[in-house]
Amino acid sequence: MPSENEANSDTVQWGGLISAIAQHQDRAAFAALFEHFAPRIKAFMQRSGASEANAEELAQETMLAVWRKAALFDPQSTGAAGWIFTIARNLRIDYHRRESRGGMVEASDVEIEFLIDDSPQPDSILATSQSEDRVRSALTKLSDDQMRVVELSFFEEKAHAEIAEILEIPLGTVKSRLRLAMTRLRNLLGELS
Amino acid sequence: MSIEHHPTDSMLAAFAAGTLDHGQHIAIATHLVSCPQCRTFTRSMEQVGGAVLTSLLPAAMSNDALAKVEARLNKPMRPATMAETAPTVPEAEVPGLPKFLRRYQFGNWKWIAPSVHLQPIVLPYDSDTRVFLLKSGPGTRMLQHTHTGIEMTCVLSGAFSQDGSHYGPGDFDLGDDTVDHLPVVDPGQDCVCLVAMQGDLRLHGLIGRMVQPFVRV
Ligand SMILES: [Zn+2]
Repeated sequence: MPSENEANSDTVQWGGLISAIAQHQDRAAFAALFEHFAPRIKAFMQRSGASEANAEELAQETMLAVWRKAALFDPQSTGAAGWIFTIARNLRIDYHRRESRGGMVEASDVEIEFLIDDSPQPDSILATSQSEDRVRSALTKLSDDQMRVVELSFFEEKAHAEIAEILEIPLGTVKSRLRLAMTRLRNLLGELS
Repeated sequence: MSIEHHPTDSMLAAFAAGTLDHGQHIAIATHLVSCPQCRTFTRSMEQVGGAVLTSLLPAAMSNDALAKVEARLNKPMRPATMAETAPTVPEAEVPGLPKFLRRYQFGNWKWIAPSVHLQPIVLPYDSDTRVFLLKSGPGTRMLQHTHTGIEMTCVLSGAFSQDGSHYGPGDFDLGDDTVDHLPVVDPGQDCVCLVAMQGDLRLHGLIGRMVQPFVRV
């Protein structure tokens, strides 16, 4: 378990690598980001129901998008991992749509759906590494069970049924625990801001 | 004007996670346009997503994965398609309509019941949820109804009262199959809501039975 200081320097490091790509197309920085994030994005996609081959491809596409969009990364308003998460999330939505419909859907369309009236980063009142730290410390205050259901909320319903099975509790209980965990998280975020 | 009724935290989390159905996504986004507080929470949830991503047990990439991506780094990106779609609804026609919604195709207004009209929004992808604008005249008792699935409503303009609560622009309401709604529109102004409705609407009363066959969005 890394100490909080190490975790913070991590944050700076990943963000710095993205900025290096934006500023001088730094391929070494890209390779370092790839090594850290690609296998985790692949795991994220597999857990979201993608086959091993599709998860591999989606991880590659996500990293390609990280390179192409690096100039849009604003360390003042988002943490590096959170930013990469949104790119992976959008590609996952795009993937599910293509899967259910066939044909081409553009991931950039999904992105547009997350732009709330042309303000990609609204209300970044807090400087962001600060808000990333805030989120991090809020998460450490959740119980293991609560953290598990929060994690779960990032995956589809299928996963909810799975966790119900693993924890040997009814699906309804998973849902109510999820609600409680979210409320606690929101309160923690509020206290820390 | 302050917003009093918000989506639940888990709905906002699902929005940030990207697991919502397209129609529900639109309803939450409509609320977010006018609610800084919920926007801040969804942004935080995206950071939580980053933390979840980082905490996953890595799945080994193929040996040539990095090389494959590196070979593509300098190829140009394909442009967005939907971004270029011209707006379909002039702003003046629907007061309070968020800008992002103007990228969608709108159907024609249909008469539903006395002083109640409905305009479908055409979704580009299959969705379990139908999305439409519902316009009700001043003082209208909106249709008493239940539904078979979840219904999300966000007020765009005007206001209504329901079960002792007041709903104005930006306010969000969630109905499920346990709720029997009887909203009443404020006097003096039309009330326009964006509704994302899963399943079928079930109307009650005589009018309900009369219009039921027409309520196919
Ligand atoms: Zn809100």
